[in-house]
Amino acid sequence: MKPLAILAGLLALSLVGCKGDSTNTTGTAGGEQPGKGGASKSIKVALLTPGPVSDSGWNAMAYEGLVAIKNEQGATVQNQEAAGEGQIKDAMRQYAQDGYNLVIGHGFEYNGVAKEIAADFPNTAFVSSSGAQSGPNFGAFRFYLEQGFYLAGMMAAGMSKTGVVAVVGLDVPSIRSTFKGFIAGAKAVRPDIKIVEKYVPLPGTDIAAYKQSTLAAIDEKADFIMHQANQGAQAVFDAAKEKGVLCFGANANQNNNPSGVVIASAVIIAKPAFLDLAKEVAEGKYKGRVQLFGMDKGAIDFVVNPAMADKVPGELMSKIQQARTEIATGKLVVPKDEF
Amino acid sequence: MIATILLFSVPLILAAMGEVVGQRAGMIDIGQEGKILIGAFVGFIVAKITGSLIVGYALAVVAGVALGCLSTWFTAKLQLDQVVVGTALNLLALGATSIAFRIYVGDSGKLLSIDKAPALFGLDPVVYLAILSPAVIWFVLMKTSWGLSVRASGEYPPAVEAAGISVIRRRFEAAMLAGGMSGLAGAALSIALSGSLGEGMSAGRGFLAIAVVTFGRWRAPWVAGAALLIGVIDAVQYRFQGQAILGFKPPLQLWQALPYLGALLILFALGRGAGAPAALGRAYNKER
Repeated sequence: MKPLAILAGLLALSLVGCKGDSTNTTGTAGGEQPGKGGASKSIKVALLTPGPVSDSGWNAMAYEGLVAIKNEQGATVQNQEAAGEGQIKDAMRQYAQDGYNLVIGHGFEYNGVAKEIAADFPNTAFVSSSGAQSGPNFGAFRFYLEQGFYLAGMMAAGMSKTGVVAVVGLDVPSIRSTFKGFIAGAKAVRPDIKIVEKYVPLPGTDIAAYKQSTLAAIDEKADFIMHQANQGAQAVFDAAKEKGVLCFGANANQNNNPSGVVIASAVIIAKPAFLDLAKEVAEGKYKGRVQLFGMDKGAIDFVVNPAMADKVPGELMSKIQQARTEIATGKLVVPKDEF
Repeated sequence: MIATILLFSVPLILAAMGEVVGQRAGMIDIGQEGKILIGAFVGFIVAKITGSLIVGYALAVVAGVALGCLSTWFTAKLQLDQVVVGTALNLLALGATSIAFRIYVGDSGKLLSIDKAPALFGLDPVVYLAILSPAVIWFVLMKTSWGLSVRASGEYPPAVEAAGISVIRRRFEAAMLAGGMSGLAGAALSIALSGSLGEGMSAGRGFLAIAVVTFGRWRAPWVAGAALLIGVIDAVQYRFQGQAILGFKPPLQLWQALPYLGALLILFALGRGAGAPAALGRAYNKER
């Protein structure tokens, strides 16, 4: 009788193990040791994400960057979910011991842990998406999504009929910071705009909660919704459609969502940043530092939905265009939190 | 507002009703969370593929019944620890649904949407199922001879055997009913509430259902009341989040903790009185 139970347990565990899905390929020039010369040598890259990479949002974006590294540079890649300090430490050490040249942690929470671990593994580069600390072989690259959110805020406040706009998202510091950008943009156009903020608690996989919080925001008269809901985005859009209000897309270009309520998207173009990073590491040129990727580097964009562009008043559109130029040239600095 | 509260309470009410039946038969089902998750995925994907919500809901129920059988086979037939089996089932469900999702839409996911069922007098049809379920479960448990033997299986199994009824059989039947309710709860969550699909979307509702059964003192109508109250608190939480009350703006964390605080207070208020079924969590062995 007992062996059956053990079998069932093993089955369950093996399935969970599969969750950190491996996208292994054998590198084109495999077999070399990490950290030794050769510009065209293939490297091993690992990605750690705070949530499932199938979230159509923040984590999916990093995963697509990783796949690009694999396809375009022939790197051996692997990824897994790692949340919480203990898990992150284990995963980072494991990959470093396995000879991975680059370990990317997709969130600010990986930055502090990297600082601790990097000293023990000088041949591995540890890079986190956002974070403020750096050393010889660890650092951070941060996407300045606040810039795109600022322009979305301008559009929302400039077009709102009720004078109320809302933000709905997961309750983590990086997302709060992007909402700060949205609020600053909204207040720049209309100082008396009312902002409704609704936050869903971690781990943020509760799609129904995003729908419920969006409905609550619309109940408070919000007629434009900015979201950071990742896999809950569809629920936000559907709630908006039900109540006849408009939304913005976030992270990816969501303008052609079938709901037809996305008027514009604040977009991160992450692929070039991921490819450049892997290239630096492959060439042995990586130096730990904190990089900021914004509109000036073409990493952040604000894309208006062509099908709905006629709804935006011309005067507001030119204001947004002007702000966009000022942001790209550094004349206008969008607020962001450091964490 | 009331329609929203009712709709968003549906999965918790349905799952808690299932859990009442299971616990009354002597089985504490930690695997409820996994069953809801599987129900959510089966219901949504089947409805999407066949284009029929009814087929989606039906197969979610079937999946729940099958999982109920599976866990009872381990807990009643093989007499393994119920908590361990339930935990294994949860892990299995999380892994299996994640793999299924990535096979279905690709590794980096896709935003899926589904059309809701046409409203019946302004409410989604599943709301009526949730409203009816406490009465039905109460009747079945308290007013039928089948219900009597189920309750006895949870209180004093030897008496059931003495009456010539198989305890294991009753537990299988109860678990199938409970599993079907969980599957239905999951399908309601993905189709009627979320209108979308994603990994881990059950988000603790199965565990909350177990807690709610304790708050409701194992009585179907009370349990339904407790589940509804949690739903009300949750709706209030999202509604008043970020607003000042009498000039004071409570911190976000307080609002988010409110459903759980509410649950704790209910337990505190109802803490005494009727206890758990005497044989809850214990496998029945004729030989002992």
